[in-house]
Amino acid sequence: MSNRPFETVVHFPDLGKRFSGFRPNGSLLRFLLLGFLALLFVLTAVYQVEPEEKGVVMRFGEFVRTAEPGLHFKLPLGIEQVLKVPVERQLKQEFGFRTERPGVRTVYSNEPHDDVSLMLTGDLNIADVEWVVQYRIVDPEKYLFRVRNVEDTFRDMSEAIMREVVGDRTINEVLTVGRQEIASLVEVRLQDLADQYETGLKVEQVVLQNVNPPEAVKASFNEVNQAEQEREQKINAAQAAYNQVIPRARGEAEQAVSQAEGYALDRVNRARGDAARFRALYQAYSRAPEVTRKRMYLETLSEALPRAERKIVVDDSVEGLLPLLPMGGAAVSGTAAPRGGGG
Amino acid sequence: MRNILIFLLLFALMIVLNSAVYTVNEAEQVILTQFGRPIGDRVIDEPGLHYKLPFVQKVNRFDQRYLEWDGEANQLPTRDKRFIWVDTYARWRISDPLLYFQRLRDENGAQRRLDDILDGETRNSIANHDLVEVVRASNREPAEDATLSEEERQILEPIEYGRERIRQEILQNAQQRTGDLGIEILDVRLKRVNYIEDVRKNVYDRMISERNRIATRFRSEGEGEASRIRGEMERDLKQIESEAYKDAEEIRGDADAEATGVYAEAYNQSGASRDFYDFLKSMETLTATVDGETTLLLSTDGEFYRYLENSSP
Repeated sequence: MSNRPFETVVHFPDLGKRFSGFRPNGSLLRFLLLGFLALLFVLTAVYQVEPEEKGVVMRFGEFVRTAEPGLHFKLPLGIEQVLKVPVERQLKQEFGFRTERPGVRTVYSNEPHDDVSLMLTGDLNIADVEWVVQYRIVDPEKYLFRVRNVEDTFRDMSEAIMREVVGDRTINEVLTVGRQEIASLVEVRLQDLADQYETGLKVEQVVLQNVNPPEAVKASFNEVNQAEQEREQKINAAQAAYNQVIPRARGEAEQAVSQAEGYALDRVNRARGDAARFRALYQAYSRAPEVTRKRMYLETLSEALPRAERKIVVDDSVEGLLPLLPMGGAAVSGTAAPRGGGG
Repeated sequence: MRNILIFLLLFALMIVLNSAVYTVNEAEQVILTQFGRPIGDRVIDEPGLHYKLPFVQKVNRFDQRYLEWDGEANQLPTRDKRFIWVDTYARWRISDPLLYFQRLRDENGAQRRLDDILDGETRNSIANHDLVEVVRASNREPAEDATLSEEERQILEPIEYGRERIRQEILQNAQQRTGDLGIEILDVRLKRVNYIEDVRKNVYDRMISERNRIATRFRSEGEGEASRIRGEMERDLKQIESEAYKDAEEIRGDADAEATGVYAEAYNQSGASRDFYDFLKSMETLTATVDGETTLLLSTDGEFYRYLENSSP
């Protein structure tokens, strides 16, 4: 009896057994009995279907009707039996991890789920894939009557399909560029298979969660990312140095050229100025050279001579002067003895 | 006394009725047996209320739904001698309850037979193919990843069979063997395929060394590019500096030349101008050099002091 599917309600309550060895002998007892029967009657004739459910009513095991949410009646005492299926509720299954407590801050189980999450990739590497399948029951009849243990079946299917899809891809695709494609493909194939098995389920979404290289290999995968960063860093640093040095050098170069140009201007203008002055002077001089010369000479001397600290005027006829010429500030002590005869 | 009798009669009727009526629900199919042997070859699978001979006939129920079979994970060798854990599952149905009842009797028997058949076929198929055929399903091109170099771009080896074909091979072979058991296998799938522990370590090592190669490549690329930029920087620097020097010197040189020309043009007009320039310059130099420290030795023969001795030369 207990192996039968859906065996929950007492079937044909066996009145005989219930009352063997029991002799009714009081009207009170009879009254209680009837009351009890009435209660049983009512309790087994009324049922409620919650808003997210659909009721499936079976009479003697045969499906007769579905029941919408609300309060309903059915034939009592097990003649009609109702099974409630949550068709509106979104259900999900988790693979490779387990949510221990959902909430604002979800808590995940710490146990490893390696047997589910580790799988082979197409290039015969190993990846650690966690994913979630969200689904709904859309056909209660199929859900109840076509497949035994739909949840477990669905789980097996999901694992098989995910591995099929991942097994056709490289480890790189699985970890990075192919994630969305994998999820979409699994969604489609899983739905096909669910239909093939007549599960009455609709796959709403397949979402990949953490997809990682296996624990033992993670460090080296991270190193690749690090190395890539280092490469960018080195290149940027060199570029920055370039951008610092070269513009400054260009500025300095321009400055040098400008300075040279300034020098050039200066030089040429001065030359022109000097030349013009000379020309003018020369022209004047040419008109009376002798006189101009003498004048200029005497003017120069009259300006220069007073500045000299000492002036010694010597007559050419004086000879033998030189050796005794005292220098450095002492007063001249007359003239030196004249050399030899003389005047 | 009469009441008790009536009650007993009712009671007996109930029992008889109970044994004469039975239900079949949507998920069941029923065979009636009499003294252990099936009656006729009728399978009662219409759901609802049914009748039978009380006590004599017995109701044997069989599940009409797709049932589970989950193989134990086994270590199996592939054709290329790789040992892998293979975990398969299957879904099957009792398609012919009469046959099923005769051959297998109940689900225990069925599961055991399915173990034999499915495990056996799986082992055979796996042993006939290389590992890559078991894992891969198609010859698709992997998506481009621009960060990988030519040699690292993973090639997916081309396959001949593929996972799907192998799976169907297992399914078909198993279906043939269950044909006379009253069972229909709907589907067989490889739920999990994994390396055994030792091999896994090797695979990890391979993956690690592969990654290390890529990391090294990135680093050396960084170094190389940085060096190249540094070299460029030094070259450009030298170029700018030297060109600036050249231009500046050219400008200065041109200016000097022009100035010299200008001077020459003025001073070199004639012999007389040269003379005059000489004189002028000497006068200027005289003015500049005589200062408070100078001692002048002058002769009365000179022009300046000529008139010191006489009023006429």
